[in-house]
This record gives sequence, structure tokens and C-alpha cells, in this order.
Amino acid sequence: MKAALALAATMTAALAGPGAAQQRIPVGHLMDNSGATSDVGVPYGQGVADTLAWVNQTRQGIAGRPMNVLGFDYGYQAPRAVSQYQAWTGRERVVAIQGWGTADTEALVRFVNRDRIPFISGSYSAALTDAGGKSGRAGVEASPYNFFFGPSYSDALRGMLRWAADDWKARGQSGRPKYVHMGGNHPYPNSPKEAGEAMARELGFDVLPAITFALTPGDYTAQCLTLRQQGANYAYLGNTAGSNISVLRACQTAGVQVQFMGNVWGMDENAMKAAGTAANGVVFPVRTQVVTGQDAPGMEAIRAISRVSDPTGTVYRPVHYLAGACAAMLMVEAMDTAAANGGQVTGERIQRAFYERTGWVPRGFEGVCTPSTFTAEDHRGTMRVAIYRAVVGGETSQGSVGDLIRAGTMRLEPVATVELERKRELLGW
Amino acid sequence: MTVMTPAGDFRGSYRADTTIFPTFGSRAALWAGIAVLCLAPLVLDRYFLGLLINVGTLGIAALGLNILVGFTGQISIGHAAFFGFGAFASAWLHEAFHIPVLLAIPLAGVMTAAVGLIFGAPAARLKGLYLAIATLAAQFILEDFFARARWFTGGVAGRITESPAIAGFAFDREESYFYLVLAFVVVMFVAASNLMRTRDGRALVAVRDHYLSAEIMGINLAYYRTLSFGIASFYAGIGGALYAHHLLFVSVEAFNILFSIQFLSMVIIGGLGSISGSLMGAAFMVALPEVVQAGADAIAGGAVDRALRIGGNISFLREMAIGAAIILFLLFEPDGLARRWRLIKAYWKLYPYSH
Amino acid sequence: MDGALLFQLLLNGLIVGALYGVVAMSFVLIYKASQVVNFAQGEFLLVGAWTCWWLLVEWQLPFWAGFLLTLAFMTLFGIVLQVVVLRPLIGEPVISVIMATIGLGIFFQALMKWIFGVFAKPFPPVFSADRVSVLGLEVQSAYLLSLGISVAIMAGFGWFFRYSRHGLAMRATAFDQQVAQSLGISVPRVFAMSWAISAVVSAVAGVTVGMVNGVSSALSFYGIKVFPAVILGGLDSVVGAVLGGLIVGVLENLSQYADSQWLNWGNLTQVAPFYALLLILLIKPYGLFGTKNIERI
Repeated sequence: MKAALALAATMTAALAGPGAAQQRIPVGHLMDNSGATSDVGVPYGQGVADTLAWVNQTRQGIAGRPMNVLGFDYGYQAPRAVSQYQAWTGRERVVAIQGWGTADTEALVRFVNRDRIPFISGSYSAALTDAGGKSGRAGVEASPYNFFFGPSYSDALRGMLRWAADDWKARGQSGRPKYVHMGGNHPYPNSPKEAGEAMARELGFDVLPAITFALTPGDYTAQCLTLRQQGANYAYLGNTAGSNISVLRACQTAGVQVQFMGNVWGMDENAMKAAGTAANGVVFPVRTQVVTGQDAPGMEAIRAISRVSDPTGTVYRPVHYLAGACAAMLMVEAMDTAAANGGQVTGERIQRAFYERTGWVPRGFEGVCTPSTFTAEDHRGTMRVAIYRAVVGGETSQGSVGDLIRAGTMRLEPVATVELERKRELLGW
Repeated sequence: MTVMTPAGDFRGSYRADTTIFPTFGSRAALWAGIAVLCLAPLVLDRYFLGLLINVGTLGIAALGLNILVGFTGQISIGHAAFFGFGAFASAWLHEAFHIPVLLAIPLAGVMTAAVGLIFGAPAARLKGLYLAIATLAAQFILEDFFARARWFTGGVAGRITESPAIAGFAFDREESYFYLVLAFVVVMFVAASNLMRTRDGRALVAVRDHYLSAEIMGINLAYYRTLSFGIASFYAGIGGALYAHHLLFVSVEAFNILFSIQFLSMVIIGGLGSISGSLMGAAFMVALPEVVQAGADAIAGGAVDRALRIGGNISFLREMAIGAAIILFLLFEPDGLARRWRLIKAYWKLYPYSH
Repeated sequence: MDGALLFQLLLNGLIVGALYGVVAMSFVLIYKASQVVNFAQGEFLLVGAWTCWWLLVEWQLPFWAGFLLTLAFMTLFGIVLQVVVLRPLIGEPVISVIMATIGLGIFFQALMKWIFGVFAKPFPPVFSADRVSVLGLEVQSAYLLSLGISVAIMAGFGWFFRYSRHGLAMRATAFDQQVAQSLGISVPRVFAMSWAISAVVSAVAGVTVGMVNGVSSALSFYGIKVFPAVILGGLDSVVGAVLGGLIVGVLENLSQYADSQWLNWGNLTQVAPFYALLLILLIKPYGLFGTKNIERI
């Protein structure tokens, strides 16, 4: 009797063993390939998708179990993202989600908290970094399950302002420089506004009243003339690339001499091509330590990932692609940690795995992904802001982005790397 | 309410004549339908329940628009703004005044009706195209208001809301929320049917059919046009509030001009001037993206997929399908699904004499 | 009060307003001739801009050749749309026609994204001088080109509607369709012609905006600006449409000035035209130059 039971138990275990090992791990992936932010959503989403596919191909997924990546293009319409989330939690029971923009991230904060599913977003709003909800800022909720790779919008702006202050002195200018925040009336451009203006005042800037321009392309000559008349020296462009291009061109035509500082999503190689020489000189933060074309040990892995969707290896990968790859790898390594020693891959364990490492660079991506450190209270992964300058030398209408970079008409020049102090009172805004 | 009445079925009293369900069959069909829907949460999964909830909330708002456009002959391209107002109002009432959600929803409807009346008063002077453009302007202006009124809407960041709750039981799962929405749908639709058989309802239809004659007969045009806006906004507000407490998050981005156009599409596809048509139109617009997605998944990987690169461009196909559906319905079935349904019923009832 | 800045804003407003006027003209043309409200005007701009870009970049044609080919294509495009979609809807209520044009707009917006992708693409340089100085304000040459073309179009329209047979036929149809038909004018042909001309004029505006801002799917938002302009000017007046466009352009720039100097609301520029629209509708519903509709029992 006992022997029979033991035999039955071993047989069930033997049958269940390989079955469990083969069961795919469901992971959600929200993208915007067609909506308002698709010009930056496409390369980032491609980076994430390619990376997860590469992990499945070359590393046999997570602890031998491939990931079932459920990609969904929600067109930047939050309700669609929410209903897809319901489907994912109800049917497939995803364990983690690669998210995208402010719309879906904000909409899902409470849901992912309730369901305990880590959400790695493409929205770098500082409000998401206050994991414990203890910063005391109005309207900031505890978001222990929200993570992102790279500096927050506010920290990136603070870093650029630090650089701007040094740049002002280095140019030999005297007196107080003038700073102005430009952007649409929308949570994404507004996110770092307060932080930027406070930091600017601290550093000795004169803060001019903010200038608004819409998130759609249009004629912004009036804004540029206002900019010139107010005598601004440094202007922060808070929108995505599409409308920033209109402002840059309008200001170039109007002859405005301002140092423009973009945000992470506001300038990239595609925007440089679209704006042409108007984008020359714009500085913006880069989340990774290198860009395509520079060399680092980790670029080997990036090239392998790129070949997933581009076997010929000729397509140029913009900065967002690399950032997407790093964001995906953070999630992958956290899942690896959760699955180590036969553990269950659940949302809670993945979240705790995020806190296990300091100065975290995914294995094989050294020199590419900036080191990140997450703690239970503080989800500011990195305080390092790498600033690059867009250099455009000539006509950009002919040829693809890759051709223009190879010909040297366009290039990204590293300017400075600012390391901010991790101050308690700057958490969450 | 042109339900086929069998020969020999006559009315003996005025009250019997104005009943909403003239035959036993139609009344029984309604009860059977409600019973079947009540069983739905036991059978369907969360995703489909979520779709049905969407059909319900959007259907209520579409019914409001149908009262305005189909029954009164006005035009409104700003319906999403009122829908959004209802959503924000309900969230704000709950958060600022701690009114229980189940009470906040009807109150939000009333608030939205008030706003609708304010917009309806000047709109009553305009006709046709000018009215359409005025409502378009109202849409943009309300959107701007939502974006800037932080105290009301939470500004551009939006606001998180709670699920309705009675005595500790929270309607936070799809299964329970479905029943709440079903109750509201039944109540609102019966109310609308009832409205259409009263004096005011007939006055609205008279304003649509020939407003000069209506005015000559003593119907106050400005009053009824404004009233129509108010009623439509009430329905939009209720729909919006239900939507807000389902998604648990409201933000200004969701209520844009494209959403207004979707409501108009629901009304046109469902059938102008038909109450059941509103629900059919809402169901069609919710089902269309799903069908397109399913179709794209079915041919994924095949030769057609590779040739047209459908896989990556599925969202564009969805949008194109919506645009094409609107145009095709207008060309081939201008009276909407309601009329097609009536024709199908007539075919079966009059067989073999129908052709 | 900074007089120099104000003057420059005014000038910029007039120049950009001329562009809005061009778009408004094409809208009014369709409405005047066939009583159809074209909510897809913005998508006409988009299709024109992408077609011209494609001809210039993929086929490496010189600008004038590409531009003329684009205009020819848009003529065909307008005619086909009118025949296939709008002709069956003659006589249907206003709401149906509006929805049909909205459906067209949605369809073409998505189609352009499918074919050309989601990234903004720059136009190849056309002029040797990128910008020109006008009375102290640096203006993009493209805007001046559009200004020149719109003046030419207005002059052309003036001649067309007064002296040419087809122009007179269009005016007759707009005035009274039945009488025009009884006199032997082919009303369907007049409708098709009006759509064709409107499409061509929109393409001009689209190419201009594409040259200035690069071509992207958000170009169609220029179509929304049409409504304040035509309401201000009157729905059935071509001159009114141009004036309405100029007013909207100046209004936007002046609101930006007022906003930055005194109000600091942030987005007065975007909503000011719509507030103006509502105001005009309340006071003078037929616009500045529109014909008052006298209702007969």
C-alpha cells in the first residue's frame, strides 16, 4: 500500500515536473505603435519585444521556461489599455507588464498595486518613484509595483539645469541666466515643471513664465517670438519629438538664440532627421551609457538583439531602442532571481527581486545599461543623467537615419554626465 | 415602436394603445433577454463581461444622443464632453463630498443635465450645420476646461475613483459591476421608451419632423430643443459616471473629439430615432475592433499577412474598418441596424407574403 | 507693451492666416456648390502632402514636376470620392453626410499611417533661400509661396466664377439646383468639379505645411482650424473664408501675446478661435459675409 502510494506520488511528480518546466510565463507588453506617441513608441516597443524574444531564443527564457509575451498596441488610449489589462489578469494571469506612456501607467497604478504585478513603464514621471507613498506630496500615491529604467523626467531636468549653470559660466557670461519651461498642458510635459523651476531658482536662474505649445505640430512662431522677446537663455522642451520639431523649426526661422534642452522622449535620431539643421545644438538626456555607433562590451548583446527583427543588421537603432532593451532586461533578471532555486515566478517575488541588487547592470550589457538601484522606499533607479548634444551638419531629407549617421551629417555628441545626490526631500516630484 | 401586431389584436382603451410592449411576445422577449443576461457572469469570462459593460455604458450615452439627434433632429458633435463631465462629476462628488458612489452616479447625471441645459439654450437658436459646428466648439472648450480645472477633474493628471459599494459589498469585480450596469440600462431604456409616448416625447418628434408646423400648433421650439439637450446630457452623464467607476480612473485624454465621433457612429449605425437601435449601435462599435483583431489573428503568418504587413499595422486596419463601416452603413443601410432588424422580423412574420 | 513684438505677431498672424484662408476656401467651395460639410478637409491636406513628399523623395522628381503631378492626382482623388461616396448620399439628412465625411477622414488618416509610417518626414529643400525677411520678420519661404498661390487662386476663382461657363454653372447650381438642371447644367458634374477643385486647393495648403513642419499624420489638425475661419467669414462666401482665416491667424498670435504678457493661462492660443466661433454664432450666426437664410413656409 505504502509502496503503491509512493510509486504513484513519484510518477505524478515525474509527470508534473517536465510539464511545469515547459509552462510558459505570461508577460504583458503594452505599446503605442499607432497613436499620438507612436513616433517614439515604435522604437522603444521594438527594443522591448526584440529583447524578450532574444531571451527566449538564446537563454531559454526564465529558468528554462520561455516567456509568453502578449504584445498589445493600445494606440495611447487609456481605456483600451485598462480593458486589455483586465483580460491579461483574468485570462492569462500575467506576472509582469512592460508598459508605456503616462496615460496607461497612471490609469493602472491602483490596479497593479491591488493585483501585485510589477509594471515597468516608459513613463518616467517622478510621482512613480515614491514607492512607499511617504513623500507627502499631494496627489502622489504609493506605487510599490511601478518601476522604470533611467532617470525620472524631474531628475533629468535637474541634471540638465546643473549642466546649464556650468555651461553659462563656461561661456564666460555674467549675470543671471534666464530659464523657461515650454510644453503642452498635459501630465507628461508638466511632470517635471515644478521640479525644474525650483532647481533653476536654486542654481541662480531667472525663471520666466512658462510657454505652452500643443502636443501636435503647428505654427509656433508666436511662441518663438515671445521666447526671443523675453530674452530666455535656456528653454526646456517638454513635449514629444513631433511638436518639438515644429518649435525648433519655427525658432530657427525666427532667428531665436536659445539653448534648447529636450526631454528623454523629445529628441532622438528620427527627430534630428525630421527637424534638420533646426535640431543642431539641442541637448537631451540619454538613458544608456552609449548610443548606437559607440562601442562598449554590452553592444555585442544589443547587436544580437537587433538581429531578431533585422537579420541583415543594417537598420539603425535609435536611443529608445537601447533603453527599451535595458528596461526589458531589468525585468528578465528580476524574474530570473525570483525563479532561482525552484522558486515561483509571481509578481510579488519579482518585485522583491528588484531590490536585491545595487548598481545593477544586467549581465552581458556592461557599458550600455546605466547601473540601477531600487529600494522599497525609493524607486529612483538611477541618479545619473548622461547629456548628449544633437549635431546636424547639413540636409537631412535624403537617405535614412542610418545613412545620415554613417555619412556624418548627423551625430550624437556626449556632452557631460551629471550625478545627482539622492536627496530624500526630492523624492516623488 | 412598430412591433407587428397580429390580425384581430385590437386596443380597447387609450391606456392599452400607448403601452410600450403591444404584444405578449415582445414583453416576454424582454424578460427572457434580461434573464439570459443575468446568467452571463456565470458563463462568460472577465474580458467579455468587460465588453458587455462597455456596451451598456456607451449604450446609455448613445441613447441620450439618439434622443437629441434622432428624435429631436438636432446635431451634437460634443457628446463625449458631456460624457466626460458626468465621469468627472461623479468622481469629484465622491471624493470631495464623500457621497456614496451609488448616489453620486445619478447626481452626476443631474449635474451634467444642468450643463447641457446651459449649452442647449443658445444652441436652440441654431440649426443644422451651425449647430454642428457650435457643438464642435463646445467640445474643445469643455476639453480645455477639463484640462485646467484641477479642483474638479484632477487637472491633466486625472483622478482615481472608487467602485460603488453597498453595506460593505463593493462592485469592484466585473461580475458584480455587470449587474449594476444591467440595472441602469434597463431603467434608462424603459425611461426613454416611456418618454417617447408622453406628450413631451411627441413634441420632440414634432420639432424634428416639421418645426414650423409644430410652432404653429403651440409647441415652444426653444423650450423643447433646450430640454432635449438637457435629457441627452443627463443620459451622457449617467453613462459617463458608470464608465468612470468601472475603469476606476478618469482623465481628460479619454474624452476627445474622436470619442464624440464614435457616439455619432453608434447612433447612425444603430438607427436614428430608434431606442433599441442605440444599444445595437453601441454593440456594433464595441464588437467591430474585436472582430477586426480576431480576423487579423486568424490570417496572421499567412501570405496575405506578409504581403500587406498586417501584423504590425493592425491598429491602422482597425481604424480603417471603423471609417469604412460608417461609410458603408450610410451608403447601404442609412436607417441603421434597427431597420434591418425590423425587416428581418417582418420577413419571418409575413412569410410567405413578404419580399 | 512691446510694439515691435506686437507688430511681428500681427504680421505672422496674417501670413499664417493666409494659409488657414486657403484651407477655408476649399471647404467653402464644397459647401457652396454641393451643400456638403467636409469634415475630412484636414485629411485632404494630409493626402496631398504625403503624395508630394513621396514623389519628391522616392522618385526624385524636381519640385515643380512633383507638385503638378500631386495636383493632378488630387483632382482625380476629389472626383472619385465625390462619385463613390457622396453622390449616393444626395438628399440624405445633414447628419448622414457629415458622418460620411467623418468616416472618410478616419479611413484616410489610418491609410496614410499604414502606407507612410508614423515618423515625421522632412520635405526636401525647395527654395535656395530657406527664409525671407519681411518687414523685419523672418518668414519661411514656403509661407510666402502659399501666400502667392492663394492670391493667384483667389484671382483665378474670381475670373472663373464670373466669366467662364463652368464657373457660371457652379454658381447657378449653388443658387437653385432645380432651375440649373432644367437649363441643361449637369448637376452631378458640377459637384464632382467642386470636390476636385477643393482637393487641389487643399493639396497646396498641405504641401506648404509639409515644407514648413515636415509631413506627419498630425497635419490633419489644420482641418479643425477651418471651422472657426468659415464661421467667422460665412459658410458660403469665398472672400469671407479667406478673411476668416486671416482673422483666426491674427487672433491666435494675439492671444499668445496676451497670454504671455498678462494672463498666463497657458493655452489661450488653442482655444481662442473656438471662443470667438461661439461668440460669432451667438451674435451673427451667418458670419461676416454669409447670406442670411430666409425661411419660407
